[in-house]
Amino acid sequence: MKKLIGALFSIALAVAVTLPAAAATKGGKLIYARYADSLLLDPVFNDANVDIWITTNLYDTLFLPTDDGKDVQPGLATAWQAADDGLSYTITLRQGVKFADGTPMTADDVKWSIERAANPKNGIFNFLLTSIGSVAVTAPDTVVIKLKQPDPVLIKALATFNTAILPMKAYEASPGATDEEKAKTFAEHPLGTGPFKFVSWERNVSMKLARNENYWRKDAAGQQLPYLDEIEFVTIPDDATRILKLQAGEVDGAEFIPYARVAELKADPNLDMQLWPSTKVNFLTLNVRPTFKDGSKNPMADPRVRQAMNYAVDKDALIKIVTFDVAKPMTSFMSSSTPYVNTSGPAFPFDAAKAKSLLADAGFASGLDVTCLALAGSADETAILSTVQQMWSQVGIRLKIEQVDNPTRTAKYRAGDFQMRVSGWTDDIADPNEIVSYFAYSPNIQSMHTGWEDKKVNEIFEASAKEMDAGKRAAQYKQIQDSYMEAPPIIPLYESPYPVAFRKSVKGFVQIPLGNNIFVGASVEK
Amino acid sequence: MPISLRYVVLRLLQIVPTFLLIMVVMFVLVRLLPGDPTSALLGERATDEAVARINAQYGLDKPILVQFGVFLASFFRGDLGDSIVDKTPVLGLILSRLPVTLFLTALAALLSVVMAVPLAFVAALRHGSGTDSAIRAGFQVGLSTPVFYLGILLLTLFAAHLHWFPVGGYGEHFGDKLYHLFLPALTLALSLSAVLMRNLRNSIVEVLEAEYVDFARAKGLKARVVLGKHVLRNAVIPTVTLLGLNIGTLFGGAVITETVFAVPGAGRLMIGAIFGRDYPVILGLTLALALLVSLVFLVTDLVQAALDPRVSA
Repeated sequence: MKKLIGALFSIALAVAVTLPAAAATKGGKLIYARYADSLLLDPVFNDANVDIWITTNLYDTLFLPTDDGKDVQPGLATAWQAADDGLSYTITLRQGVKFADGTPMTADDVKWSIERAANPKNGIFNFLLTSIGSVAVTAPDTVVIKLKQPDPVLIKALATFNTAILPMKAYEASPGATDEEKAKTFAEHPLGTGPFKFVSWERNVSMKLARNENYWRKDAAGQQLPYLDEIEFVTIPDDATRILKLQAGEVDGAEFIPYARVAELKADPNLDMQLWPSTKVNFLTLNVRPTFKDGSKNPMADPRVRQAMNYAVDKDALIKIVTFDVAKPMTSFMSSSTPYVNTSGPAFPFDAAKAKSLLADAGFASGLDVTCLALAGSADETAILSTVQQMWSQVGIRLKIEQVDNPTRTAKYRAGDFQMRVSGWTDDIADPNEIVSYFAYSPNIQSMHTGWEDKKVNEIFEASAKEMDAGKRAAQYKQIQDSYMEAPPIIPLYESPYPVAFRKSVKGFVQIPLGNNIFVGASVEK
Repeated sequence: MPISLRYVVLRLLQIVPTFLLIMVVMFVLVRLLPGDPTSALLGERATDEAVARINAQYGLDKPILVQFGVFLASFFRGDLGDSIVDKTPVLGLILSRLPVTLFLTALAALLSVVMAVPLAFVAALRHGSGTDSAIRAGFQVGLSTPVFYLGILLLTLFAAHLHWFPVGGYGEHFGDKLYHLFLPALTLALSLSAVLMRNLRNSIVEVLEAEYVDFARAKGLKARVVLGKHVLRNAVIPTVTLLGLNIGTLFGGAVITETVFAVPGAGRLMIGAIFGRDYPVILGLTLALALLVSLVFLVTDLVQAALDPRVSA
């Protein structure tokens, strides 16, 4: 019971933070320029951030992530209680919630939506819900989720995009022989309980949303949310054009401002340049298998070489050169917005002398050669690698840069046919379990295809997935990070914010560290 | 003008084997590219099971001959398959995007002719003069400036600063579309008009020195008649051929222009499809463009035959 009260308390606190205190202008239209269009507006079958980051405007989950991305607040559920054995959760649903078309949301919709998301045959995100056994409706406002094993992250998983609640009847009535085909047709005209309802979509041009008149949420002053009448997402892939359109006032906001333009936009009196704390980490992925795919010996199999490579990168200088001081150094392989992150100090502070002596110890006193895959045409990757090339040349590491396009790189990477590549990662859930399962837990995808394996880490991770005691879990994640960071199969470079710019008239937009673009509290002031 | 129906039908039939050859070659070529649609779609994190599931769903795990058979069978039913990335029918995607590019290229071709023809005349009639050099130098700059850079320059000046045109996008109705596509079409037209202008100028200079023009003048025909009937008609023939041959290049240029100006055309669809290794879209779009270019070549030949009685058709 103490646990429940604690949860409710943090929930109440979070709601107060989320909603703007000052009265916002109601009405109006906001045009937001995105670098790429969405692909599939179904929360279960989508697989890309272009979908994930905006579906939360159409669909709600039982719980909602807080603005700092670390916790949850009530959504379509108002309370939850875990059984003493941790094997079932009783969830109280919010009453009077309607879908955008006016039909009431029922407990059956909830049961069906959660079971669809947890079905291992559906999509690629069901791994976040493997503990779920079944969902039962026990009262019109209550569902009970039965688990196969205790799951400390269940509530956070119920605040993640893929567990959004959809209208079962409308979905099942969509044309299509299989669930995936139904998802496609349903997602052409998505229907949810979110703050906005879908109006129209011309692929790669524009998507129009309008206020959901039936939305359940009010702001702190008791005013009905959302404020905006309409949102239009327009797709403008070219960075320079997207910014020109914002400067000309043809759009109200634009995402992915290149770091090189951040200072210029900050100085523009008409614009509000925003840098949202994120879970985005940027790093080099190293192949650490004893030999490369061509059979030659891999120097990076030696932990000392990996340590040397890490020490030889001056992260502060790199951040200045590549991100114009927008990013910040990392303390672990996970971002500072990820719960349980180890913050005991910067990872591998720059030390060229130490790097040289480590290389000498490993038998590479005369240096070594490595090749890194780079995305052809990517200004960021070129800047990162030419800077690292310079830094490494000081300690005798000769870096060759091989430019390839994205599908080529992904194919080589998946086949383990690479020495090194530039990578990025963002969390989808407010918990370290996702990033650890990819980076450090080798049975998943060989620790991000590096070939790195630590059996002890695997055991600790498996135990942490069932550990209900928050203190013990924190200790487990500290242990995992310490072991991993000793001689990691990556070079952590920096964590970078989400760069978004708006006209000064736009208020109340939020992008949380998980990336979700939240327009519920956005308004355009006159 | 001896253009026979038989000639047109014959030329149309000649397109069929070319078309089939392109189909086979492209079907194989896209699959020889490193990388595959599934891993491009699912990205770095996907598990092997997820990749296998998507591959099976799109039949990509089957032998290439089987895949080609499936493609052919649906092709003859008028179905080009579904896009792997967009998850919508390829034919629908092409039909929604190709008209945009056709509009853009037609406007660009028109603009380049409008710019090239009068200036070619001025340059040719005063060939060797300062005016001639200035016109040729001006077009040379247009020709040698990279399209994407030219696009950004025009956008910054005419759209962002002067507000004469919108910054990219595609309008709702005809007039609005013309307004939106003017700058991108101009960007495309500048390099083509340079090629056309140079070519036309040289052929006018050549024709002006021909004996039949001297003869026409000697007969006492008015300068306007000499220029219009004898000079232009003869000088324009190689230029028409050149314009026809360059339509393919215009489509190529549209790939970049559409990205810079956020125009939702076939060029941007192609770029996206290549980077996503979206095999059905790459193939469908290539076939559509091949068909269009073949038709443009046919029309070029017919126009040439109409202008030049020596070319039999």
